[in-house]
Amino acid sequence: MKLALTQFSLKRPWLIIISVIALVVAFAVQFPSVSFDNDPENMLSPHEPVRIFHHEVKDRYALYDFVIVGVVNEVNPNGVFNVETLNRVDHLTQQLLHLQKNSDGLPEIVIPARADQPEQRTVYDLSPQAWWPRLLGKVFNHNPNDLFDDQGNSVIVEREMMAPSVVDNIKQADLGSLKLEYLMENPPQTEEEARAIAEDAMGNPLYRGTLVSEDRRAVCLYIPIIAKPYSYNVATLVHKLTADWPQEDQVLITGLPVAEDTFGVEMLVQMATSAPLAGLAIFLLMWLFFRNASLIIAPMLVAIVSVVCAMGLLIGLGYDVHIMSSMIAIFLMPIAVADSVHILSEFYDSYHRFGNKKDTIYYVISHLFKPMLYTSLTTIAGFGSLAFTPIPPVEVFGFHVAFGVAVAWVLSMTFIPAYIMVMIPEEKLARAHLEQPHGESTSVLSPLLAGMGRLSFSHGRSVLIVTVLLLAGAGYGISTINVNDNPVKWFTRGHDIRVADEILNHHFGGTYTAYLTFAEVRPDACNREQKRELVRQRVEERFGTQFPQGVARIKAKLAELKVNQHTVAGCDVHKCFHELFLEAQQIDTQIMAGWNQLADEINYMNPDGLTREKLAANLQPMADQVGKELAIVLDRLPAGDELQGYPLMDAALQICDEHTRKSFASYILELEAEVSAPPFKQPEMLRYIEGLQQALADGGLVGKSTSAVDALKKAAYELSYVAPPSDADSTEVASYQQRNQTNFSVPETASAVGQVFVQLEGMKKKDSLFHMVTRDYREANVWIQLKSGDNKDMEQVVAQVEDYMQNNPPPVPLKNRWAGLTYLNVVWQDKMVNGMLSSLAGSFVVVLVMMVLLFRSVVWGVLAMVPLTVTISLIYGLIGLAGKDYDMPVAVLSSLTLGLSVDFAIHFLQRARELYRKSGDWPESCKAMFKEPARAITRNAITISVGFTPLLLAPLVPYKTVGFFLATIMAVSWLASLVILPALLTVFKGIVFREDVLDEDV
Amino acid sequence: MNVLRFSIISLMMVMWLTPLAHAMTADEIIDQANQVAYYAGNDGRATVKMTITAKNGDKRVREFVQLRLNEANGDQKFYTYFKAPADVYKMAYLVWKNIGRDDDRWLWLPALNLKKRIAPGDKRTSFVGSDFLYEDVSGRSPEEDVHALIEETDAVYRIDNIPKDPGSVEFSHYVVDIDKKLFLPLNAQYYDHSGNLYREVEAMKIEEIQGFPTVTVSEARDLVSGSKTRNEFTAVEYNIGLNNRIFTERFLRRPPREVQ
Repeated sequence: MKLALTQFSLKRPWLIIISVIALVVAFAVQFPSVSFDNDPENMLSPHEPVRIFHHEVKDRYALYDFVIVGVVNEVNPNGVFNVETLNRVDHLTQQLLHLQKNSDGLPEIVIPARADQPEQRTVYDLSPQAWWPRLLGKVFNHNPNDLFDDQGNSVIVEREMMAPSVVDNIKQADLGSLKLEYLMENPPQTEEEARAIAEDAMGNPLYRGTLVSEDRRAVCLYIPIIAKPYSYNVATLVHKLTADWPQEDQVLITGLPVAEDTFGVEMLVQMATSAPLAGLAIFLLMWLFFRNASLIIAPMLVAIVSVVCAMGLLIGLGYDVHIMSSMIAIFLMPIAVADSVHILSEFYDSYHRFGNKKDTIYYVISHLFKPMLYTSLTTIAGFGSLAFTPIPPVEVFGFHVAFGVAVAWVLSMTFIPAYIMVMIPEEKLARAHLEQPHGESTSVLSPLLAGMGRLSFSHGRSVLIVTVLLLAGAGYGISTINVNDNPVKWFTRGHDIRVADEILNHHFGGTYTAYLTFAEVRPDACNREQKRELVRQRVEERFGTQFPQGVARIKAKLAELKVNQHTVAGCDVHKCFHELFLEAQQIDTQIMAGWNQLADEINYMNPDGLTREKLAANLQPMADQVGKELAIVLDRLPAGDELQGYPLMDAALQICDEHTRKSFASYILELEAEVSAPPFKQPEMLRYIEGLQQALADGGLVGKSTSAVDALKKAAYELSYVAPPSDADSTEVASYQQRNQTNFSVPETASAVGQVFVQLEGMKKKDSLFHMVTRDYREANVWIQLKSGDNKDMEQVVAQVEDYMQNNPPPVPLKNRWAGLTYLNVVWQDKMVNGMLSSLAGSFVVVLVMMVLLFRSVVWGVLAMVPLTVTISLIYGLIGLAGKDYDMPVAVLSSLTLGLSVDFAIHFLQRARELYRKSGDWPESCKAMFKEPARAITRNAITISVGFTPLLLAPLVPYKTVGFFLATIMAVSWLASLVILPALLTVFKGIVFREDVLDEDV
Repeated sequence: MNVLRFSIISLMMVMWLTPLAHAMTADEIIDQANQVAYYAGNDGRATVKMTITAKNGDKRVREFVQLRLNEANGDQKFYTYFKAPADVYKMAYLVWKNIGRDDDRWLWLPALNLKKRIAPGDKRTSFVGSDFLYEDVSGRSPEEDVHALIEETDAVYRIDNIPKDPGSVEFSHYVVDIDKKLFLPLNAQYYDHSGNLYREVEAMKIEEIQGFPTVTVSEARDLVSGSKTRNEFTAVEYNIGLNNRIFTERFLRRPPREVQ
């Protein structure tokens, strides 16, 4: 029954071969419709709240993903602030701002005509020159000249570009005036101008450490793009545009989007090179073992067919090939080869017994059927469990690998026999065995295996003690595991991206971006009673002693408003204040109308030849209305004509002001501004954010944080700046400086804050303020730059913020939320780790149940779990001890470990039981075990582990990790199966070889 | 008196010009439109309610009073006094538009008790954070562009304007529709260097006030950011006899009665 498939294949081999070809064709035709997805953000489901929020934040604050281009000059004594470099940077900026698509679809840069130069048009072709990358680009549908959206517009968001030539700057100019222009309004013509730009940049907290490095060696351009997957092409464009730059101006490109996108592109290259190379290596190794090319083509075909089927299914089902799924080929190949290698190994070793293909195959399959079925099922369980993780690409990956494994099993049962029947002539097999009888004597393998068998048999206890010690060590190692990931570290050291990342993070505040947003906890809270009380108190304080009647009227009005508040819809603060204002205006009319009138009249006077006498005469016609006030003014103005013209008017106005200053109406407006100010116009709140930024800076992980508060302080400083007089001595200059420096702060009142913010709203680059605060000033965004993209660092920064907020309650209850790619990585990593752990635990249980069923014995089931438990423990223990981060590739590999390392145990135990049942003598069986069965296991282990060494050469760390892991998994589980299992069987033979256990027909 | 006389003159001008209109060159049309749009009367006052609406619908409202005084040789002075929102109450801007040289600008921030001169700079920057530019408020000098009449319908002249110094502005050209009867620009459309329309300014409502065709609702739209700004002009008056001294720094700290 169980061999029906094989029997059929032996009978109708051609039918099987044709069916397999048809199957391959059916799946392969799906390939052309492949689409790739390089975006690690897709590790999170599109419905994941944090991802939705991330996009909301980007939308709300008009934020884009950046390609970060750093220009570093270590040679020039002025760093990048020299005429040539700054001109180059400006030119590059202009080029990037004027990118168009020409009629051939190629990028064209059109620099508009200027007064001094005509229009310049240059077309670029970013396609690689070498044939191999060109071919790959064609195959993977990657057009390097694709820098345009569907409408043909540049993918660079020109208006949000951050570069010295296009960011705002506020600075002092002639005659104490304030200049609002771009930081590098014009590229410098002299070294002095270049230095001035350096000074401006250093003096602006928005740019120091962000746009320009504090050591003046580096300048950055932040190129915003409409979508991350364009970042690789934009980086290529920048490389092209700067190709003719001199050596001393180093151009470095980094940023998470570029890293992620570059990874995507290079991963495709790896897909096209590593997997075939691994295939080739496996092939060569098998050739070494079996010396029969036509025979070993069979497992290769099984591997290729199962990969084609799995990938074809994935593409056919409409999934994108993601970073994870690009590794399907690599994961699938060793697993697919494994079964065939078992068959071939046994076939090779037993052919001499039968001298006939058909019988040999029948014999081999008949006693390999069960272990092979179970090893396949356990592998399917291991990968299938990934389909239940909360990470969409991992689900897709797990499901398709599982599918591929199933295909490989079916092929091993059908295609391999059919292939051997059709393709391998009997004579050839016979000859091979003549040359190398039993494959035993000349092999180094056999004595080694025999030795291992003796060791584990005779020193069983010692083996077990060593195992327990190792496990203890592994346990310790696991406890020190560092859960961490960083997409930039997916590149090997020395990779351009990694180098750029290191250099730029050395010079700047950090190229890893996260956004820390704040919103009120209760944005609609009206706090009427509180506000009323505040107004009452403040009016009392201000006017209580002087104008008790006025104060009484305001209080009465407040009381009236309280009674009416239920009739007024909701809580319209402005309406209430308007009523108060009207009341206050009436009070003003009573107490200071005369003063206002008088001041107004004086203000309009013609200062020419104005003397005290003339002033008095001009005002005489008003004496009826303002007689009392006029008398006071005239009385207090100095007699004589020492004051004339404007000084005289000013003196008179000053006297009036002593009274007009006490306007109830103005004060009510002031209070309105204060009471109704949204949170991020309140000085207290802004200082709170300032404190938080300081705490983060002190925390050491955040290289730079930027908020609306920084812009506000800078603007307040420049607005209030008073230049010391040219003849001032040094102490005077110092005191001016000190005074100016005190203005580098959050202004004292909400009105002052509001007025400075209005200036920032009207800067040359419109709305740049609104990257940091919403237009209603109710929510704010702090741009956090980290020097490291390590998730553990990001996590720690999150903790620092929590701490700060815990220890320093904000003036208004705030809720904070994070966004930004660096933060998103933390979230999906978290899901990944937990998802992998539970899927590992789940599949462990499933595999255990399977083992118990397979062996119809709990003891044997548990025994089968020993090697894989040891392997997983040792490997993760090793990772912990070696200090390697538990990252995405490592997490995914746990399922591979489980799937592969149980295989050897199944084969070993199954054969051991069979042999024991025949001989009834364990020492004898054990000796036999270390012949054919052990050889098959060993060949498999060597094939897979050595076969994947080409992966170690890949420039991408996850591929290296997979290569290293496969080798280690194979080595450890091979050892565990061949040393620990016999030791256990020997030591516990009384329990394991009980009759009732062995009675079952296996 | 003044008003009446002016109406007669304008009436005469309209009668005079109508038969000749077909013969007008693009430069003449633009010059006249510039006069009608920015130089009505000797002086003027308006209360402006400015509503800036962001792409997501967030609105910001600002209210200010604007005074304007024409001077000889085309120079003009502007005084802008903010009334709302409460935090910018009494904030004021003073601009002297100088033909042929840089403008002078001052700023008064009452809450900081601060008067500051603003150095001449790019006029094509946002006016108090709105989608209007300083140049929309005070007028772009016809001298800066080359004008071409590209279309004439029964109602409008369509003029294309190409900057003489393309490096100084962000547009490659803009097209203005000018009402043939009123000589008011109805609509201006700005194109970027790739030839895409990215900005529009439109006269949404025109009323005749004291004989002057006056735009009482105008809107500027930023098609890239999706933001738009609507200005509604009320209490428009012309020829109110503004004192030249109002337009001095002194009147920043102590606002003139005309704006209160």
